[in-house]
Amino acid sequence: MEKIVLFLKRIDRRWIFLLIFLSCIIPFWIPSLFNQKFSTSKETQRVYDIVDGLKEGDAVFIDWDFNPTLQAELLPMAEQFIKQCFDKKVRVFIYYPFISAISLGENALVNIKKEEKYSYIENGVDFIHLGYLPIYTDMMLFSMYSDFKSTFGKEGKIFKGIKTFKDISYLMSFAGSNYPESYILLQRRFGFKMGVGVTAVSGPDFVPYLQTGQLDGMIFGLKGAAEYENLRISHGAQKKHNMKANAGMASLTLSHLIMFLFIGIGNFIYFYEKKYKKSN
Amino acid sequence: MDIINTMIDSTILNHTFQIWMSVLLTLMMLSFLFRDNPLYKLGENTFLGISLGYGWVQLWNMSVVPFLIRPIKDAYLDFQPYDIVLILWILMGGTMFFRFSKNKAWIANYYFAFLFAYIAGYLIPIEVQNLFVQGSNMMKPLFEQPSFFEISKWFVIIFGTFSGLMYFFYSKPQKGLLRITSRIGILVLMTYFGAAFGATVMGRIALFIGRAQVLAENNQASIVIAVLISIFLFVYFKFIYKEPGLDDEQMH
Repeated sequence: MEKIVLFLKRIDRRWIFLLIFLSCIIPFWIPSLFNQKFSTSKETQRVYDIVDGLKEGDAVFIDWDFNPTLQAELLPMAEQFIKQCFDKKVRVFIYYPFISAISLGENALVNIKKEEKYSYIENGVDFIHLGYLPIYTDMMLFSMYSDFKSTFGKEGKIFKGIKTFKDISYLMSFAGSNYPESYILLQRRFGFKMGVGVTAVSGPDFVPYLQTGQLDGMIFGLKGAAEYENLRISHGAQKKHNMKANAGMASLTLSHLIMFLFIGIGNFIYFYEKKYKKSN
Repeated sequence: MDIINTMIDSTILNHTFQIWMSVLLTLMMLSFLFRDNPLYKLGENTFLGISLGYGWVQLWNMSVVPFLIRPIKDAYLDFQPYDIVLILWILMGGTMFFRFSKNKAWIANYYFAFLFAYIAGYLIPIEVQNLFVQGSNMMKPLFEQPSFFEISKWFVIIFGTFSGLMYFFYSKPQKGLLRITSRIGILVLMTYFGAAFGATVMGRIALFIGRAQVLAENNQASIVIAVLISIFLFVYFKFIYKEPGLDDEQMH
């Protein structure tokens, strides 16, 4: 036993990195390895239901607060949200609070447009990139509540009937930081409805806002994105273009199993050595 | 000009080139997990250079030009009384450059004073309002909560917060009831840290999965580049790299 413990103790950390690497990449090569099913959380369901309840011609405001470094977690959920809006013929306004997020958002819409189902969508009609403004959220919100269109200096058919932010049905913020809190703080004052799509790291910070009803819904991490995909698929969306997050879920499961294994091994060595030292 | 555009289209904007670059840079960055090496440094500096360059160009086009240069130009061509406000703010913002001077750095304090006053005046009321919203949610009648889970959650939040605070209460020796409470407090804190750590690990792995997906979808490029990088690392650490000697360490 001692030899095994000594061997395990001296494993080079690079072997662990390699195992984690393989556990992430193998499920993409063998997709049938983990054909897992999981339930949908209440928070994800709420976001889906809210968009599902919107009428044709309604408008949503997306706060695209993430750049390529967080795209693995947030892009699948943002894409699904936008696609659902297009399914419901809801107008989509996308605002970028950070400059580095703009190209990612523009590329995402180009990719969505490539799908046959959404080939009709047009910039300025069905969606619009509002760009970046070098001002704080509060100033932007005050300006939007005064005159929505001139806040961004953009033109298009999409603005028809949208005078102020009151005409926007829902605000959805996709972020990997606490940035959506700047909207939440002003939510009481203006009374808009909002939800968030956040990374697993920043997710726990937003749970208190769900409990108080300040947030209507939350898509949480890669799992939340996969839940959202499943919801859309169960309501008739094609699997072909809507499985990005689901594809990553198998990798997430396998890599976590490997981590559990090593945490178990670490604990085993710790307690074994403690016992061994006591007996000597 | 057309020749340059065609060249850019067929090289940098070429889809195959982009895929290979994406795989190459991903594996270059991952090579750090083996050991710090020149390929990692190259990838790191490429990323920094490109992101800073891109950021500056975008910032110039989307912030400086529309909100500074264009209004100044318009004011110069056709001055209106309200342009005085613009000049005032340009002067106010311009005071930031006095930070470079040792003697005149205090001038920039006026701008900061305004900024801090604005942020405090704006943030304090809405933060307090937010605290009231959060607090009032905890003051609902306990047994009117919809489920047993909601009631138990209330107990966990109230007693968890209290016992957590007691852990940091050092005005009295931690004995008796205070010791028991602080022990419960540390358990609550550890549970939170565990949950936060678990979520962080899940998030980090999810980020890596994004890169793994790129590698898995482009098998050919991944295998070829992985082999080439492995050969480079072998050659570099076997024949070129020298462990820093005592003299080198002393010099640094």
